[in-house]
Amino acid sequence: MHDGSGLIAVQNLTKQFGSVTAVQNLSFTVSPGSVTGFLGPNGAGKTTTLRMLLGLVKPTSGTATINGRPFHQLGRPGRVVGAVLEAQGFHPNRTARNHLRVYASAIGVPDAQADQVLGLVGLSTAAGRNVGGFSLGMKQRMAVATALLGDPQVLVLDEPANGLDPEGIAWLRNFLQSFARMGRTVLISSHLLAEVEQTVDQVVIVSRGQTMYYGPLEHLRQQQQRRVFVQPSDVGALATALREAGVQALEQLPDGRLAVSGVDAKQVADTALRAGVSVYGIQEEQADLEQIFFRLTSGQFVGHAPAPYQQQQGGWA
Amino acid sequence: MGDLVQAELRKTTTTTLWWALLIPTVLIALGGGLLSGLTGRTFVEFFSSSEAEQLSDALGVTPDQWKFSLLGIGRTINLATMFPLIFGALAIAGEVGTRTITTTFLTAPSRVHAMAAKMMVYALWGAIYGLAIIGFTALGIVLTSTSGQMPDAGGWAMLALVCVLSSILMTLFGVGLGALLPNSAGVVVLLIMYFLVIENALQLGLRLSGVPETAVGFLPNGSVDGLTGSVAVDLFLADAGVVPEEGVYWLRVFAGAGGAQAWWLSGLIFLAWVAAAFGGGWARMTQKDIT
Repeated sequence: MHDGSGLIAVQNLTKQFGSVTAVQNLSFTVSPGSVTGFLGPNGAGKTTTLRMLLGLVKPTSGTATINGRPFHQLGRPGRVVGAVLEAQGFHPNRTARNHLRVYASAIGVPDAQADQVLGLVGLSTAAGRNVGGFSLGMKQRMAVATALLGDPQVLVLDEPANGLDPEGIAWLRNFLQSFARMGRTVLISSHLLAEVEQTVDQVVIVSRGQTMYYGPLEHLRQQQQRRVFVQPSDVGALATALREAGVQALEQLPDGRLAVSGVDAKQVADTALRAGVSVYGIQEEQADLEQIFFRLTSGQFVGHAPAPYQQQQGGWA
Repeated sequence: MGDLVQAELRKTTTTTLWWALLIPTVLIALGGGLLSGLTGRTFVEFFSSSEAEQLSDALGVTPDQWKFSLLGIGRTINLATMFPLIFGALAIAGEVGTRTITTTFLTAPSRVHAMAAKMMVYALWGAIYGLAIIGFTALGIVLTSTSGQMPDAGGWAMLALVCVLSSILMTLFGVGLGALLPNSAGVVVLLIMYFLVIENALQLGLRLSGVPETAVGFLPNGSVDGLTGSVAVDLFLADAGVVPEEGVYWLRVFAGAGGAQAWWLSGLIFLAWVAAAFGGGWARMTQKDIT
């Protein structure tokens, strides 16, 4: 049986579909009590990795375990791990309540659990409706409800924000954080860092089927140097004063502002005061995670800019 | 395992497919029963008429002992079991189509457990369809036939048994093939074409090319048809007195048991086909990457 640790461990995982290597030697672990973001561009192998973890796809090599066991050795998997893989997976002519009751009995939980999870995702009023008539956002909520049926210790979500409205995304964010705070494990994939930035504590960033970064989001943020944008009355004088103060990373922007790296706004303003330069505006740049993410994952599928349109000469005119 | 069986049962009862297919099943059974009864009755009336009396005497036919309506029962069952076959075929192909198979595999201890639960539930459905078929076929015969044309209680019990067996096996054959070829439209079209057209053409080809008649009884439809047809012919012969050998041949062909082995052997042959389809489908579903 599984060890109940709530730990997800992926080790040297590789999957090849014919000649295509979807996932290559991927390793990471996910600890309970935190929300881990699994990030990468489309086609980076995220979905394949999650499906290998859930026993739906057989790895070519390597292992993926939950609670120290591969999926098929979990015994009653629905009680250990819940998964939101796609906003599909419903019979269009089955009602929401009946869909959940089918899987409630498969997992071995009482029927009352079906209504309870429907309430949890805010679909109580739609319980008697056929899922085929649901919007994408409602289906996504249904997928979350199905994942929660067995009150699992581990939750795996593949791009769950797709199709959710802002209200739904905010709800999901709060829900996942409180779920993790109960000491449970959450692994959530996305191709947009901004989408999960406020939700996750840790990130695994993959590209081309390989791990590019794995660790706390905070460390990633700290990797980015801070920059201060300042609009002085005399750019030259402020630049000289900053250089004298030992600040070398200066850049004059086309709009007349000065970009200063490696110092904070207070230091720049103090230097300007001492140099007798007026400051009309000063702004500290937030660490732009999206840029770091883009740098880490760029180059998988490089598109070209469109060729300029050329009017055909001659013809029928 | 009980939980999974209940889950599979709920899957079948919470959508409309089971009764959507039960309606044509019942209509065909009833229609086939009515037609079988009428055929038998027409036959008795014809040979009992004064004009045909001499012919009957010459042939040694005792019309009230020739239960022709029996022979139509085998054909009716064979045609009506097409619907439980389709019902079975959609068990897994349908789940792959709606992608509910993902959640099914995520909530079962293993794929083997999920498949086994499905097999049990669909065997039960096969039995339900089978009971409906024999019930409505019997109703049709009772409505149009005279009591002398009907089998006795033992005969009815035997017919009911092979009808239910045949329906269960057809359903499971569908489940296996639906797993082997998990595409709803594709597998349904293939099965209908095979059972109604392809195998009949194949049987005709075999007969024309001079292959021994018994070869037909080893084909899927030839064997499942033989399961019910042989019983119908046996019941017919038990009461019919002396029937010339050539006559028996045509009786068997008429009942759908042309070239078929004894009913139990035909059943075993079709069981082997079911096992092959199920084994293949089982292997495919346990290996398949659900992407």
